[in-house]
Amino acid sequence: MSSIAFRRRAQLAILLGPVSLFLAVFFLGPLAIMIVTSFLAPGLYGGVEWTWYPHNYGRILGFADPMFEDFDPVYIAIFLRSLKIAALTVVATLFVCYPAAFCISRLSDRWKNFCLFLITLPFFTSLIVRLFIWVLILRQTGLVNEVLLGTGVIARPLELIYTDGAIILGMVYVFIPFMFMPVYASVEKLDWTLVRASLDLGAGPIRTFLRIILPLTAPGIAGGAVIVFIPALGNFVVPAILGGAKVMMLGNLIEQQFLAARNWPFGSALAMMVMTVMLVLLFIHVVVSGRRGFDPATGH
Amino acid sequence: MKIFATLARGSLIAYTALFFAFIYIPLALIAVYSFNANPVNMMTWTGFTTEWYAQVLGFKTTISENALYLESTSQLVEALWNSLIIATSTTAISTVLGSAMAIALYRFDFFGRRFYRVVMFMPMLMPDIVLGIALLIFFVNSGINLGLTTIIIGQCTFLISYVFIVVTARLAGMDRTLEHASADLGANEWTTFRKVVFPQLLPGIVGGALLAFIISMDDLVITYFIAGVDVTTLPMFIFAMLRRGIKPEINAIAVMMLTFSFVIASLGLYLRSRQK
Amino acid sequence: MRDSIVRLEKAAKAFATPEGQTVTALDAIDLDVKRNEFLTLLGPSGCGKTTLLQAISGFVQLDAGRILIDDEDITDRPPYRRPVNTVFQNYALFPHMTVGENTGYALEVAGVARAERTRRVADALRMVGLEGMEGRKPRQLSGGQQQRVALARAIIARPKLLLLDEPLSALDKNLRQSMQIELKTLQHELGISFIFVTHDQEEALTMSDRVAVLSGGRIQQLDTPRAIYDQPKNSFVATFVGASNLFEGEATRGQLVTKDGIAISHGRPDATGAATALIRPEQFFLAQPGDTAPSLDVDLEQIVFVGSTFELFGRTATGRRVIAEIPAVRRSLVGEIEQSRRARLAYDPAAVHLLPGEAA
Repeated sequence: MSSIAFRRRAQLAILLGPVSLFLAVFFLGPLAIMIVTSFLAPGLYGGVEWTWYPHNYGRILGFADPMFEDFDPVYIAIFLRSLKIAALTVVATLFVCYPAAFCISRLSDRWKNFCLFLITLPFFTSLIVRLFIWVLILRQTGLVNEVLLGTGVIARPLELIYTDGAIILGMVYVFIPFMFMPVYASVEKLDWTLVRASLDLGAGPIRTFLRIILPLTAPGIAGGAVIVFIPALGNFVVPAILGGAKVMMLGNLIEQQFLAARNWPFGSALAMMVMTVMLVLLFIHVVVSGRRGFDPATGH
Repeated sequence: MKIFATLARGSLIAYTALFFAFIYIPLALIAVYSFNANPVNMMTWTGFTTEWYAQVLGFKTTISENALYLESTSQLVEALWNSLIIATSTTAISTVLGSAMAIALYRFDFFGRRFYRVVMFMPMLMPDIVLGIALLIFFVNSGINLGLTTIIIGQCTFLISYVFIVVTARLAGMDRTLEHASADLGANEWTTFRKVVFPQLLPGIVGGALLAFIISMDDLVITYFIAGVDVTTLPMFIFAMLRRGIKPEINAIAVMMLTFSFVIASLGLYLRSRQK
Repeated sequence: MRDSIVRLEKAAKAFATPEGQTVTALDAIDLDVKRNEFLTLLGPSGCGKTTLLQAISGFVQLDAGRILIDDEDITDRPPYRRPVNTVFQNYALFPHMTVGENTGYALEVAGVARAERTRRVADALRMVGLEGMEGRKPRQLSGGQQQRVALARAIIARPKLLLLDEPLSALDKNLRQSMQIELKTLQHELGISFIFVTHDQEEALTMSDRVAVLSGGRIQQLDTPRAIYDQPKNSFVATFVGASNLFEGEATRGQLVTKDGIAISHGRPDATGAATALIRPEQFFLAQPGDTAPSLDVDLEQIVFVGSTFELFGRTATGRRVIAEIPAVRRSLVGEIEQSRRARLAYDPAAVHLLPGEAA
């Protein structure tokens, strides 16, 4: 009996040992160091000084080290704008995906699988290529402007690229599978006899949608919203390509701190803000769906 | 009432058609315009040519140098080569480690199991820039030179999660009584694993490996932070090209990359549909 | 050669429920299975029958007690080192292997040479009526065929004992009945003992040499099917196996009188004290004028025609429910009582069985 227990323990150690070590050193370790860094003072020529320096966080809120700087809300403005763009991305992605999820869930199995395949496929293709296409479409000499100018609808090119709208469009394009899959999962599970029952009991289509369909698919919407919002908030590629230098988001700001300004502690503090928003969102999500019997560990 | 229902249904179908158009028309556009001969304005059609592909693949062309990125071909080949080395190594490492963890968490009940689950979901939820800078700070502080090694290590930290999730899904779909049946018929634990568990798990492991390979080939953000100055991967190369201004060659590269990932992804999804 | 192939001595097992309670699955069970015997473990779900089966196959470790197969103590052996094979409830066929590979699996892991394996696989499949199906995959087979593959796979290594865990529960009624007969025939041909688990009492009675009725982790009665049906040891067995009318009361010489004053005649002049009388529904018949047999007068609530019989649901004057089964050939009599909604149910005192004590 004890030899069986010993063998099982040995098996577990072999399976889990190397991967635990790897993740402890190269995943949890770096995150811990980043947290520490966010409380250190920036060195003069990049690098850090090992002194307690909470002003990195103060600076985000506009109140930086009172010795050197005045109140400057530029960072909080970027933070708020990033929140706004991420939120608008969530809403837009939902509007794009929700009706399609209904349509696809009513198809035959064969078509359903084919449609799901078509939706997942772009996820596996190069992100940068997919964003590049939108540059070609939106830029001043891009497809939209060429067509509109050529047909005489407009006299001079529209400014489409390097706007908030372009960033949101790019993010929607990239995040469609993230929203579609959870929404589709809850739409697919929806018991249509409940809808029929509601109609039968005298509720009109709109009322039925609001009272029956929407609450029953809410878990999928919430799940999709969370997993779109988080990467959208910290995104750096989309604004870098479609926002140009004009539209700054948290992601670009962080990149700047690391690769241009070389203020690592401030960059770490900004990253911590992103992490905090993410943890708060996840916490709310887990608490709310926990009341519906959701297991955060498995995601079901 | 019937008319309304038909109308609602019709508009839903139309909407879904638009939805797919939104996803695929841009992809189709780039494929078409990659054969456009116009060297200046890529979206104004002036004739059919395969010269851009020829240029990218290193053949002699008649394109004037103004329309090209200098030395693009040799740099492209080097970036591609780097990406392949990285993707192959990360796929091997993360497939072994991720599968081992999936099996361990599925087969054994031990203290800290939930913690491992949470750690596995973290990289998928975290914005990648956070992991990118954390790794950068870590590598610089620990004195490891940035380069291929750091990229491989860095990518493995999140690729393990992808493999873990795919293999776990496969394990969850497996019937535990099959292992009982095997033991009942005289097979010991190792034989049972070899003959019953592993063959059924294999599609999941292959699927996880393919996913890891594709994501590794495509990763820009994390690699961007920990690549250092000497090493460039394919996505980084294209990102740099985009920042320098757009020239038509990039169309051809993009279409070839799309084709490549379409083939791998279709293969992976086909394997997954077959295993049922 | 001893008479017994498997012996359980004081086998005990308790489980902790998620709510923190302890459930006794096996309560110090003693059991002897004879050579060549078809033994059925019968009981409601949660009675411990599956635990008992898994203790023998090795998937459940006993808390206390021993299991012997052929006088050898196998209590601490892992499942793969026990001379026992199982037919699983959901068949547990390996989906990635063909029918032939599934069937030959036990021989393969035991290191039997390929040629012999092929021959024995063909033999085993022939025994279950699936000759030539070696190359198919399990999912290409019907439920009944999968069932047969599971059977062939479990018997190919000639185990000393075959365990069957509700193997017929997933089949439809007709298929189930023909499989019952086939299983019985197969057991005779093979000459090995079967332990069969079911919650279906009809199945248990049809197939078994002996039936063990389980409840609450204990064997309530272990007997031939007839004895179980005709002479149940307690009211649990009486009600679980077949429909029954139970009258608990005080037995005196030849009669039992219930608290509400109903007198039941019985053929046991020696019985005295608290007892329960059992009358099966089919033992009642409709009394004719002038009949001298003892009888009960009931008001009829329902008369249900089920084909071969009429089922009468009645109440005595004191409100006690009585069920009777009247052969459908006696249609004319039924017509009469349908008019009057009253019936006099007669019975033969010799057919009344007395259980000790009061009904639960």
